[in-house]
Amino acid sequence: MVKDNGAPKKDNFTRNLVVAVIVGVVLLMLVPTLLSKKSDNSAALPAIASVEDGYGIAFNADLANAPKIDIYEDFQCPYCAGFEGLTGAYLDELITKKEAKVVYHLMSFIGIESLSAANAAGCAADEGKFLEFHKLLYANQPKSENSGTWTNEYLKAAGQGVGVTSQKFSTCIDDLKYANWSKNIANEAGKKNVNSTPTIFVNGKKIDNAKDLVSLDAFKAVVAKG
Amino acid sequence: MNIWLEKFSPWIGLVFRLILGGVLFAAGYLKVGALDKSQMAVRAYELLPISIANFLGIVLPYVEIVMGLLLIIGAFTKYVAAGSAVIMFVFIIAISQAWARGLTIDCGCFGGGGQVAANETKYLPEILRDAGLVLLSLFLIRYPVTRFSLDKSSN
Repeated sequence: MVKDNGAPKKDNFTRNLVVAVIVGVVLLMLVPTLLSKKSDNSAALPAIASVEDGYGIAFNADLANAPKIDIYEDFQCPYCAGFEGLTGAYLDELITKKEAKVVYHLMSFIGIESLSAANAAGCAADEGKFLEFHKLLYANQPKSENSGTWTNEYLKAAGQGVGVTSQKFSTCIDDLKYANWSKNIANEAGKKNVNSTPTIFVNGKKIDNAKDLVSLDAFKAVVAKG
Repeated sequence: MNIWLEKFSPWIGLVFRLILGGVLFAAGYLKVGALDKSQMAVRAYELLPISIANFLGIVLPYVEIVMGLLLIIGAFTKYVAAGSAVIMFVFIIAISQAWARGLTIDCGCFGGGGQVAANETKYLPEILRDAGLVLLSLFLIRYPVTRFSLDKSSN
């Protein structure tokens, strides 16, 4: 039964007001969220972070005629530790001998310790010790994710382990200086449709982890093929 | 039967409104706190260009929250029900195409989403659930006057 004797506009005033408030509040939350997904141009960046390469830590970025390897990994991801164990020495060699461009995209989606670790790695990069610090963290990855092991003290001690003892490094860790850098990395990774870690691109083409990471030779082959 | 339906439709409509609104609100609410996951869930359907998928991943949870709230309070029932029929229909198409193309994904309807093992896909239950919600929506479009709603007329 439809009771339609009153003027509809007046009858529905309360409803319209409530709806306007709901929509207004939601828009107030949605619009800033959309805007925050744009990469922050004013974010503090580690010195060797490359804006053009998704804000990743880039080695040999200016090399010509060399394969480019983009590595998307999370410090807490066990498969990433496996990847590092398998290919770490080979990648070090490619970097030192300037035979490839290698870009590390440090993701932080597993948890807050991923963010702390990524931030600390950025701080270590400023001290010229990124590769060593990166290797050390993966070699000491806790058995389970989000275990609470990687505290600021732990990360500072890890820094000491690779010879980084400066106050600047400590402050960088305590201030979580590169939190916005991490957000930029995550945004750019989303644009590249990176949905899990490790995700590896060779010359812009995503490799098939099941096939190309089954052995070090398989990985070398896919890098050589370009 | 018709007289019976006419008499009880406001109550049936109330129940349907609360179910549909509750489901939509829950779906949005569970996603709105993990927008990176939501974006990833939409990308996993491999249906839209990445930038549009990413945009939808952020907007969709908020839209679901608004639609859910409006249904729960009974505001613009006919129109929100029509809108929810449309999006449920779109979801059914999206899930069906993922199934047909052999993708192995979770629908991400209530959070989560992305790749799953081939034996973990739940395409049929997800489609049936959304089809059921379409039916609830159609009822509300046909009988939009419900008990305890903010709508003071059927408009």
